[in-house]
Amino acid sequence: MNKPLRIALTKGRLEKDTVALLERLGYDCTAVHEKGRRLILPIPDANLEVVLAKAADVITYVEHGVCDMGVVGKDTLMEMNGKLFELVNLGFGKCKFALATKKDYPFYDGFGVKTIASKYPNVTRAFFENKGMDVDIVKIEGSVELAPLLGLADGIVDIVETGTTLKENGLEVVEDVCQISARLIVNTVSLKMRQREIEQLVTKIEEMITV
Amino acid sequence: MRRYDLITPEGTKDYLFEECARKRMVENRTRSIFKSMGYTRVITPGLEFLDVFSQNAHYFPPEELCKLTDNKGRLMAVRPDSTMPIARVAATRLKDAPLPLRLYYTQPVYRFTPSLKGRSTEVNQTGIELLGSASEMADIEVISAALSVLSSVGQDVPEPFSVHYSLELGDVRIFRELMHRLNASPAQKEEIYALIESKNYPALNDMLDRIGKNPLTQALRKLPTLFGGEEVFEKASEVFRDARIQEILDSLQELYHTVCALMKGGTVLVDLGLVNRTDYYTGLVIKGYLEGCGEEVISGGRYDTLLSEFGYDIPAVGMAVNVDAVANVIGRKYTPHPAPADVLIAAEKGCEALAVQKAEMLRAEGLCCEHMLGMDDPVEFAKSRGIPKVILMNADTVTEVMVGE
Repeated sequence: MNKPLRIALTKGRLEKDTVALLERLGYDCTAVHEKGRRLILPIPDANLEVVLAKAADVITYVEHGVCDMGVVGKDTLMEMNGKLFELVNLGFGKCKFALATKKDYPFYDGFGVKTIASKYPNVTRAFFENKGMDVDIVKIEGSVELAPLLGLADGIVDIVETGTTLKENGLEVVEDVCQISARLIVNTVSLKMRQREIEQLVTKIEEMITV
Repeated sequence: MRRYDLITPEGTKDYLFEECARKRMVENRTRSIFKSMGYTRVITPGLEFLDVFSQNAHYFPPEELCKLTDNKGRLMAVRPDSTMPIARVAATRLKDAPLPLRLYYTQPVYRFTPSLKGRSTEVNQTGIELLGSASEMADIEVISAALSVLSSVGQDVPEPFSVHYSLELGDVRIFRELMHRLNASPAQKEEIYALIESKNYPALNDMLDRIGKNPLTQALRKLPTLFGGEEVFEKASEVFRDARIQEILDSLQELYHTVCALMKGGTVLVDLGLVNRTDYYTGLVIKGYLEGCGEEVISGGRYDTLLSEFGYDIPAVGMAVNVDAVANVIGRKYTPHPAPADVLIAAEKGCEALAVQKAEMLRAEGLCCEHMLGMDDPVEFAKSRGIPKVILMNADTVTEVMVGE
């Protein structure tokens, strides 16, 4: 048997959703369920080796080819912009990027340059560049909603799932940036060198998620 | 003031001993392959005017170029690529040289990469350029050089090992032909480019659905999925059903068969979705892959319009090897240790000239000879360095001592 294909999963919800998907395909994921603190786990009957990592690291490992495949959110892919193949939209992990401000804030009014707070500066820059709009971007690491409330920023670009956090803090979505969901990514060389194995798995996954 | 005098800039490094030896190993092997095929070495300057790299049909993203100015304030770039400078040389100083021209190079290129991604700014490359021939034989010659390089990996070490490799063929004209006929805005086309290059099937399908469902968008949808072995050609004929594209496919298939016949131990692949967004290729494109390396180690193709941008309208084909990537693959299996000298010569004061003469004699016989410097016990010193033999010299005598374990 060939050495196992390595697939990096984004720890947390995407990991659980992917494992559930693999189980629906009939693979035995016991080792992943009983992982304890281990980070590399086998799924022998699929000839897979699961690697658990943070989202941005999934991209790094796949880009360098130390993992053949990965499951990661489109949000992180957009922010990181790696050189890899993005084969499948897995459909789970759905949310969106949106521009939000304080309720009834006249964001597009006036001639001043707006300040945007975001965990995703590259996504923010690309979004406003497309509008031909110059903005100041401030990188915030967590609870981005604080920035407009404290008066540091005019708006935020962030992930919105249900909108509850925004509402409870008196913010509202001004504009959607784009939809997000989990993607199956593949290293550019792995796809060529191990085409048959990867395509078999991809086909099975595609069949499963389209039913 | 913070001084940066003890570290190298991000993306660069010092090559010491074994790393240096492996890099040289790859360079020497590729050099001997290229020389034996009739290629002559050229060296182009590390600095060029920016204009060399910012012509119309090809360009480097400005954020990747290492720029500086000359003493007249003109913009220069540290060479990000060797093919464009060689095209410049060919179009100027070699304009009257008989064709075809066979040139090779071994020199680093510099491109800024995103910070902290583990990529190098300085990449050592070696490659060939075959200028002045549009023939299929020229393509085959360049591919055969690539195959020789790929199959030689791991062969120059004391215990040779083989590394699985693949050579991939594509032709950007299929994509260009389809895009030419597609009725879409430049921005949309640019996006389609990026989506095909990254084999982003879901986003590509959405994008093309928005443009409209017709045979052309169907073909573009399929394009990035058309990769693999010979079955690709059959699938492609069904998808495209077009005389001009079929012609390109037929010549690529013919080339595929030739390469299969040349292949010793590796795999031949085809990918019709190789579109090479940012470079100057106009037809055939090739890539070489090695098992255990996450990026291509060879990249090349036909660039029939590049030289005309420098005012010399001749076709050309070439390829470049990423020396560092190949050396890394070798490094997983082989760590050379610097060999100790064969002889240590320790001379008393006053006998320095004699010692140097003796050393030169031994070196002429092919031995590696070191001088003892300082006052330590030469035999103990030789022992600690693994040198098997010591020659003690004074005005009257020359004594040879074999160093025991």
